Amino acid sequence: MKKTIQSIVLMVMISSSIVACTKSDTATVMPVTALTVKDIPADTVVGLSAQGIPITNGKYTFYSLERNTIVPNSDSASTKWDIAFMATRIITNGGTSGTGLGGAFVYTGLFDGLTTIPTDSIFKTDNAPTSYAITTGSGKGWYNYDGLTNLITPLAGRVLVIRTASGKYAKMEVLCYYKGGVTLAASASDADKLNKQRYYTFRFAYQPNGTKTF
Amino acid sequence: MKRRFIYLLLLTPSFVFAQVKMVNDTLQMQGDSVVVTANRSERKLSNVTVPVNIINSKQIQQTGSLRLTDILKEQPGLTMTSGFGAGVQLQGLNPDYTIILINGEPLVGRTAGVLDLNRIALGNIKKIEIVKGPSSSLYGSEAMAGVINIITDANTSIPLQASLRYGTYQTIDAGVNNAIATKSVFYQGFYNYFSTDGYSIRPNSSSRVTTPIQRYSINQQFKWNINDNTNIAFGVRLTDEKIKNDISVNNGGATITSNGNENNTDQNYNFSLNQRYSNSLKTSFRGYFTEYNAKQDLVTLSGDPYYDLLNHRFQRVENQTDWNANKNLNVLFGAGAVWEGVKSTRYDSEKVRKNNSIQYGFTQLEWSPNQKFIFIGGLRFDKNEAYASAFSPKLSALYKINTKHKIKLSIGEGFKAPDFRQIYLDFTNAAAGGYSVFGTAQAQEVINQLVQKGQIGALYDSYYKLKVLKPEYSTGIHLSWDYEPNTNNFFSVQFFRNDINNLIQVQQVGAYATGAQIFSYLNIGRAFTQGIEFEAKHKIDNHFIISGGYQYLETGDKDQIDQIKAGKVYTRDANGYSKILTLSDYVGLPNNSKHKAQFKINYYHSNGLFANLRVIYRSKWAVNNTNGNEVFDNGDEFAKGYFSIHTSVGKEYKSGFSTQVGCDNITNYVDAANLPNLPGRTFYATIKYQIFHK
Repeated sequence: MKKTIQSIVLMVMISSSIVACTKSDTATVMPVTALTVKDIPADTVVGLSAQGIPITNGKYTFYSLERNTIVPNSDSASTKWDIAFMATRIITNGGTSGTGLGGAFVYTGLFDGLTTIPTDSIFKTDNAPTSYAITTGSGKGWYNYDGLTNLITPLAGRVLVIRTASGKYAKMEVLCYYKGGVTLAASASDADKLNKQRYYTFRFAYQPNGTKTF
Repeated sequence: MKRRFIYLLLLTPSFVFAQVKMVNDTLQMQGDSVVVTANRSERKLSNVTVPVNIINSKQIQQTGSLRLTDILKEQPGLTMTSGFGAGVQLQGLNPDYTIILINGEPLVGRTAGVLDLNRIALGNIKKIEIVKGPSSSLYGSEAMAGVINIITDANTSIPLQASLRYGTYQTIDAGVNNAIATKSVFYQGFYNYFSTDGYSIRPNSSSRVTTPIQRYSINQQFKWNINDNTNIAFGVRLTDEKIKNDISVNNGGATITSNGNENNTDQNYNFSLNQRYSNSLKTSFRGYFTEYNAKQDLVTLSGDPYYDLLNHRFQRVENQTDWNANKNLNVLFGAGAVWEGVKSTRYDSEKVRKNNSIQYGFTQLEWSPNQKFIFIGGLRFDKNEAYASAFSPKLSALYKINTKHKIKLSIGEGFKAPDFRQIYLDFTNAAAGGYSVFGTAQAQEVINQLVQKGQIGALYDSYYKLKVLKPEYSTGIHLSWDYEPNTNNFFSVQFFRNDINNLIQVQQVGAYATGAQIFSYLNIGRAFTQGIEFEAKHKIDNHFIISGGYQYLETGDKDQIDQIKAGKVYTRDANGYSKILTLSDYVGLPNNSKHKAQFKINYYHSNGLFANLRVIYRSKWAVNNTNGNEVFDNGDEFAKGYFSIHTSVGKEYKSGFSTQVGCDNITNYVDAANLPNLPGRTFYATIKYQIFHK
């Protein structure tokens, strides 16, 4: 039932986007602006156990792309959020993760170059713990992990194409995984590598009109 | 200890004004020395068709060099690397690709491809020959970037020599050389002890970058001239080093100390029988046995003890015949067999030795139609048991335009056999997510077993491409021009290009059901290095010689370059936004500096006084990929370029005494992360006594 509603919504949206396109010459599509969000914590380290093992709260940070704000954890079971972060994992509000229409895929290319989501794109939904719409793992989704330096770097040329909880579209690019928006140097102290990680800096563009064009 | 240091300072030459006549062999002009490495047979340097650098014992002494690393870092075209000991990078190729010989016999015992050159004490070395360019046609595997051959002293004119050096970080080096020579019997012995307390260049850290080391080396050489045409020789070289490696980790206020001990031993035995049949025909039979054993254990107060073992044994027999067919034609041919084996905790069982055997044959024709030309063609075939065979041709030529100008051109193939670890590694890292690396010999078998057990989640295309590894190949071209307008000046320029194929790279071949990665090795990489080298020497007067060298180097991974050209590689701009990487921002292979230069001033006086100042420069090099595109570009992390300045001054007395003081790294340049082998400023003083034959 949910699926059919989804596909109907999808069809409506696709057709509306076609309509939008044909009309676009007469300036109905407002260009969406890209926003940069800094230092969104993603289950940061809060201390060390007696054995020296880092402790975290094990909680996601929920974010609404529509309203460009963090959503409190109490609203995790709602459609108020679009994406959520915990360490290197990014989930979308759909599938096993949420009640919304959310989905995503990882696009290889430039953020600015992605002006229209290709029509043959396949949005995936979260199917925890087996798979996630935004592929997890080093070198597979949005980041690379260097085992020698213990550093996470966002892969260049990766755009996360997001379908929001309400079925609209956004694109985002993760810029940094460390507090302050600058990836630490390989020579940084272990304490810094531990405490300054899990802070997302990203830019995104949200298309409120439901089309796949940015 | 401090008092002893001051006492040694008082012995330095500035306080003494004795006039003694010294042998003037210290001028470091090229001269016409004899080279053995280039042709596997003695040749005058002026008749050698490939690029060669010679470092003589005087240079080694006067620069105050103790270990092979000390002297090589000051040579044009060479760069020292750190990580798994001090290795040498030759014309942009990693330490794996240069063979290190002692008197023509290879050293073994590489960790991750690096042979730690600190193992080699320089006290009894007569000269070091460095041949640049692929030389596998004569030396087989590893002679891809070039050959470094260390020739120990056969000089029996000094029956006894003893030296003692003391320096910063309680560094002690004590050596004794002794020699006995009769008409038919030669004996030479060398004993060396080296120890250092190590140093820590990281502030507030109790663990030391260079750890406390104690190292003993013994070298014994015998030679017996049975008659005018026959001699036999026997040599033994033993090195034993103990390294103490205590690691303290501060974890949330609690300090956890681990006690580590490392013991490395290196044994080399060689035997040769040399027979001359006539003035134009001679042959030699050589036997060689070497074993390198490296043992490490780390005991932590909490947690499991860690134990690591590597044992590499190498045995070789060889025959080489030199035939001077006529005055224009020299022919050399030889054949040999190698049995080698490695035991390691990193393989499926440390008890079982993994073996390889090699049979090889080589030949070389040297034709000089007249005084101006020399042409050399060489060929070698290596049949390997554990991996594919290799065929290495080489052509080189020398053209003496006149007495001042010389042109050399060489084109050759070099190869490097797969490492034992690439064939036999069986490693699963339980600590870091359970990933595994399997050598190619068992990768398919082990993975098949895992498939049957249902532990495999995915097999990649690369898994089906796994096969018997081929050696890595390189084709090298070297073109050089030497100009020697007079005995006071020397200038040379050299162009080089190496194209490397079949590079063995770690590749993910599958994944466990848990998602953990499985890796193995494939012959997939393609790379190149190319550049220009300049060298110049100028003798100002009877006292001063200045010399300099410069290398410009470009390197690259050809597959990455293809990807960049196709616009498929991304990088980040100043805002952190992705952009398409252009070729102009690509920097090539990591750990390579575009510019490297050295400048030296040497002073000599006939009264035995000598002094020198050496300046070494290395430009920035990429160390770490920080912008997540897996290629090295201008947006990545670089180690800063740096100058290091070294000096020493000394005096040799007629009585046989000599003294020397020196300071290395005068400006105290340190970079703990990228140059762990470079301590801050260090001082040393040496006293030496020699008995000369009258």
